[in-house]
Amino acid sequence: MTQRPEYLRPALIAGIVAGILSGLPFIGAGNCVCCLWIIGGAAVAARMLAAATPTLLKASDGAVVGALTGIVAAVTDALVSLPLRQFNMGLARRILDKAAELGGQLPSGIQDILNQSAGAFSAGWFLLGLLVSAAVFAIVGALGGIIGVSLFAKKVQPPAAAAPPGPAAPPPAAPGP
Amino acid sequence: MPTSSSARSVRRIWLLSLVGAAVWLAAIFLAPWLAGRGRTGAARFIYAAFAPLCHQIPDRCFRLSGHPLAVCGRCLGIYAGFVAGLLLYPLIRGFRRLAVPPAWLFAALTVPMAIDAGAGLLGLWRSPIGLRLATGFAWGTVLPFYFVTGIADYFRTRRDRRMSRALEIGAAKK
Repeated sequence: MTQRPEYLRPALIAGIVAGILSGLPFIGAGNCVCCLWIIGGAAVAARMLAAATPTLLKASDGAVVGALTGIVAAVTDALVSLPLRQFNMGLARRILDKAAELGGQLPSGIQDILNQSAGAFSAGWFLLGLLVSAAVFAIVGALGGIIGVSLFAKKVQPPAAAAPPGPAAPPPAAPGP
Repeated sequence: MPTSSSARSVRRIWLLSLVGAAVWLAAIFLAPWLAGRGRTGAARFIYAAFAPLCHQIPDRCFRLSGHPLAVCGRCLGIYAGFVAGLLLYPLIRGFRRLAVPPAWLFAALTVPMAIDAGAGLLGLWRSPIGLRLATGFAWGTVLPFYFVTGIADYFRTRRDRRMSRALEIGAAKK
């Protein structure tokens, strides 16, 4: 039977870094550009997995490590954002007030988020937000991990690590036209 | 050689992805449509749901019924491109073969969006919304070829591992 790659370590390292970047003021806005930190973090996790695994990686390995990275990033993001919540809200309000003074239009969803966040903190809302972001980040992370494996994984099996062919070792998803 | 059951599994994953992506895309248009009909509560909920994923700056959003869509032009392009890529998937790749696109194709479709977004962030260039839509669309079309392949490969690997374990147990019993 083929041995499974060690997914947890790269997912934890890349997920924690991506989660911290996502939770920080200003820098966290990078996720507004195609979930940059999550896709990037998952691709980095796939790169680390490829470096640590002697055998060929498949697209499914990228999906697993990417999804795990997304979940770790969602939890880290929530934990980092929690103490910075008041600061982030104050900052966002100041920016929006300034934009309104200058005659700019406010983003559609942001006012509702600020109003909602201004209310008392609720553990239920926190958990609901965490669940939703974990699901979204897991999907986006899986995509980033698959892209990462396709870009960074070894394309040819090293001779020393070559395993005998068998039903447990299906061919990897090779680049196609 | 993939069996017909694995082709069925790929088809099922493709179909689920297509339905999910179509619902996601429809929600982007639903928000301003609802707002235009005075259903502000439901519209606000959808706008708020998309807020963590997109800056939603109204000047950079297309409009429907006088209200901005729930995401900006570039994000709309990515999601629409994802749906278009899914529609093209059976024609280009089919369900019998799992393969990710070559790296050069991914780079060729990513670079225009990266240059456009990077130059915008650095204040070097302010691109028209149509160009944002186009570069996002180009990038979005390649993504399903990774997503469907990766998820289908995951289920195929899981099934193969289970079969292999069953064979080992059977051999051990003999």
